[in-house]
Amino acid sequence: MSPWAGRTMPGCFSMTRRFGRWLVGLPPTLFLLLFFVAPSLIMIVASFRLAGEYGGLAPLVEHGRWQLTLETYRFFFSDFIYVEIFIRSFSVALATTLICVLLAYPLAWLIARSPKKHQDLMVLLAVLPFASNFLIRVYAWMIILGPQAAVARALNSLLAMFGFEPVTLLFSPFAVLVGMVYVHLPFMILPLYTNLARHDPALLDAAQDLGANAWQRFWEVTWPLSLPGIYAGSVLVFIPVLGMFAIPDILGGTGDILIGNVIKEQFLGTRDWPFGATLSLMLTLAVLACAGLAAWLARRGVGRHA
Amino acid sequence: MRLLALLLLGLSSSLHAADVLHLYNWNNYISDATVARFEAACRCRLVQDYYSDNEEMLAKLAAGASGYDLIVPTGNAVEALIRSQQLRPLDKRLLPKLNNIDPAYLDTAFDPGNRYSVPYAYTITLIGYNVEKLRELGLPTDTWAMIFEPKYLVKLKGRVTVLDSQRELMAAALKYLGYSVNDTDEAHWRRARDLILRAKPYWAAFNASSYIKELTVGNIWLAHGYSSDMFQAQQDAKQAGRPFTISYAIPKEGAVLALDSMVIHKSGPRPDLAHQFIDFMLDGHNSAELTNLIGSGNPNRAALQYIDPAIAANRAVFPTPDILQRLEMLRDLDRNQRRVLSRIWMEIKMR
Amino acid sequence: MRRNPLWLWAAALAAYAFLYLPLLIVVLYSFNDSRLNAEWVGFTLHWYSELFNDANMLIAARNSLLIAATASLAATLLGTLAGLAIHRYKLRILPVLAITPVAMPEILLGVSLLLFFNLVFRPWLGLELGMWSVIVAHITFCIGFVTIVVRVSLLGMDESIFEAARDLGATPWQTFRLVTFPLILPAVMAGALMSFSLSLDDFVITFFTAGVGVSTLPLEIYSMIKIAVTPEVNAVSTLLMLLTLGMIVLASRIHGKAVRSIGV
Repeated sequence: MSPWAGRTMPGCFSMTRRFGRWLVGLPPTLFLLLFFVAPSLIMIVASFRLAGEYGGLAPLVEHGRWQLTLETYRFFFSDFIYVEIFIRSFSVALATTLICVLLAYPLAWLIARSPKKHQDLMVLLAVLPFASNFLIRVYAWMIILGPQAAVARALNSLLAMFGFEPVTLLFSPFAVLVGMVYVHLPFMILPLYTNLARHDPALLDAAQDLGANAWQRFWEVTWPLSLPGIYAGSVLVFIPVLGMFAIPDILGGTGDILIGNVIKEQFLGTRDWPFGATLSLMLTLAVLACAGLAAWLARRGVGRHA
Repeated sequence: MRLLALLLLGLSSSLHAADVLHLYNWNNYISDATVARFEAACRCRLVQDYYSDNEEMLAKLAAGASGYDLIVPTGNAVEALIRSQQLRPLDKRLLPKLNNIDPAYLDTAFDPGNRYSVPYAYTITLIGYNVEKLRELGLPTDTWAMIFEPKYLVKLKGRVTVLDSQRELMAAALKYLGYSVNDTDEAHWRRARDLILRAKPYWAAFNASSYIKELTVGNIWLAHGYSSDMFQAQQDAKQAGRPFTISYAIPKEGAVLALDSMVIHKSGPRPDLAHQFIDFMLDGHNSAELTNLIGSGNPNRAALQYIDPAIAANRAVFPTPDILQRLEMLRDLDRNQRRVLSRIWMEIKMR
Repeated sequence: MRRNPLWLWAAALAAYAFLYLPLLIVVLYSFNDSRLNAEWVGFTLHWYSELFNDANMLIAARNSLLIAATASLAATLLGTLAGLAIHRYKLRILPVLAITPVAMPEILLGVSLLLFFNLVFRPWLGLELGMWSVIVAHITFCIGFVTIVVRVSLLGMDESIFEAARDLGATPWQTFRLVTFPLILPAVMAGALMSFSLSLDDFVITFFTAGVGVSTLPLEIYSMIKIAVTPEVNAVSTLLMLLTLGMIVLASRIHGKAVRSIGV
């Protein structure tokens, strides 16, 4: 018998309920406030502080004065290059998302149209590679695209046949894109499948009865209905790609850095925490803007088609 | 529950292991035989963590890495560690073999009087190359022009790598332009940046250490890198029976000499073992073992007699006095300089 | 059921091939008797024996398992509470708190925890980064996953069961212990297994929060890829794949629907 049980007195019910609410809700809330919200606030404060001469941060109060400054923000906006790296990261994220849609759509559609009893297995097969460590999946492409591997040699002998210069596949923007797509593809497959599996086949039958051909049935019925799935998948692909540093690090060449690499560099290379914090905050804002946009698009899409 | 208890037990026992010396070292910077002998002599365990760049090591320490007894940073990083008061002064009574070190490597600008640091080994940042290929192309090998001048690079397109290190690449460019490697004039940095950007399209990659393998395999014909790495590539190519040889040379414009020194970090629990290790490494035989393994330069006079004659005769490992004149050690940058250099580096990476 | 057109099959098969071929190559090359991952030379188990003699790798594996076990245990507890609280008491902030760390790019959580641990824990509590900081970081991002699984399973339940329990005079605690908990147990277990594999798998956040000498398998793999690639990486990858695969299959056996709902 628990000590807080007060079932016989109606007045006590709300008290028990409130107590239970605290008991159940408080531990996770406290933990997340401490280890998620507080660190985020610390990061905001850090962006206004001075870098320590040898790394870390300079003392907050020195000679009786607060050492807070807008210097990192001034530095950020003093050169277009930081905006440029954001634009570049956005472009890579966008390209990755689009390619993921192109690859995931046929697969998700096929699964959704297969007999119910096969669907579970097919979905499992589609996401199983996701179970391997993401570094391993990136590393796999290092092998495949390497200059001595069959792919590069076949491609280059083909190019040579037509008199073109040989190309290097590994350590190039192409390799980065392949890695990004490969790592994030399951995030697109799943929401798309979930969406497509819910479509009512009667709609397609009706369209057919009205004389729509296969293409029209897809374009006029299936595609608009699947937009919410695409939006959901896009958010799941776009946002992680935006902050990714390991893939450009491993597969990229002389020019392939994204905002994630620059942030990592501030903390683990240049020892410039305030500027790293500023860049992280800018990335946070960018992510929030994207998420907001996606939510708005999805709501509009649902409102129109549902 | 029992499982958790067991796990916690395992956690605590690993935290209180006795007689362990924690060494934060460059990758492959001590011979296994030396480690084994030291462990036998001190009846302790030597545990190593590795870094591949001074900046990385400093950043890790600034980010709270601790518990290291000994670190082997390069001069400029020693300077940063001293000034941020992270080091423990040496007790020279515990280091009787200190006078084995060549005075030319003592009393340096970064640690006057060697209050904190004892020279361990040095490397020179230079050019490694595929001897046959470069001869075939009729190219010189003793100048930074090889990695910066398009007229040479056209013959080497996609076959050159440079170090993925802000300071080292800038230093090479600054040297080629006739400035000091420690020049902090922003205008000079921008000239160096332009030089790098002009050459970049011809480079295959910015590279931290895999150029060793690439040179050995024959994918890369010319690499900007550390003398010890080039030594390894040379050995590997020989062992693999490649139809070509790898060699390396100090560019005539001058280069960076990186003197790595042993220092004792304040956060380490075992300064006693650390001193024991330093004195052990000052022994000529032990010190020579490193040079014979990785072809590093050796500041220890007592080591010379044990060093493989082929290495001792190599002018890119033991430079003549007039070449030594043209070598410089890097100094640490202040926070504003670091921020600006980081932006220049970003431009280099992006354009 | 409509018949699928041939081109759709072809496209889907290509997608499956794209998903599996790279991993097959990794596995295949772990048995390749050559240092360079380029051509097939011959079959060997050399890289596996190398792996089991690599002290660093074994320590990293032990650390990974220790961190994953502790973090998943704590995250399961906190995540289950969060799922229950959100469902039962309709808390507004908690869902946002639990989901956001999962939805943000990982680097942001890693960097902010790095700052937090160094600016608060180090000076105030004298705690240096170590294994505990990795564990705390992993709990933070695992809570969200457990919360979602538990909540999904609660959503699928018939509220009348709980009402019936109350009508029969069960206290809230009895209702929970005898009715709710057995019903959500599969989801809780699935959440625990998922947290375990997510923690085992994490690279980015560990990269920023690991203290001295705390290496995990992903960190070890990363430095091998960056510094010196040998087929030992393939060998450790293959073993790690088998392990994670086992966890996932187990998790989906226990609670397929909830697991799929969050994308694994």
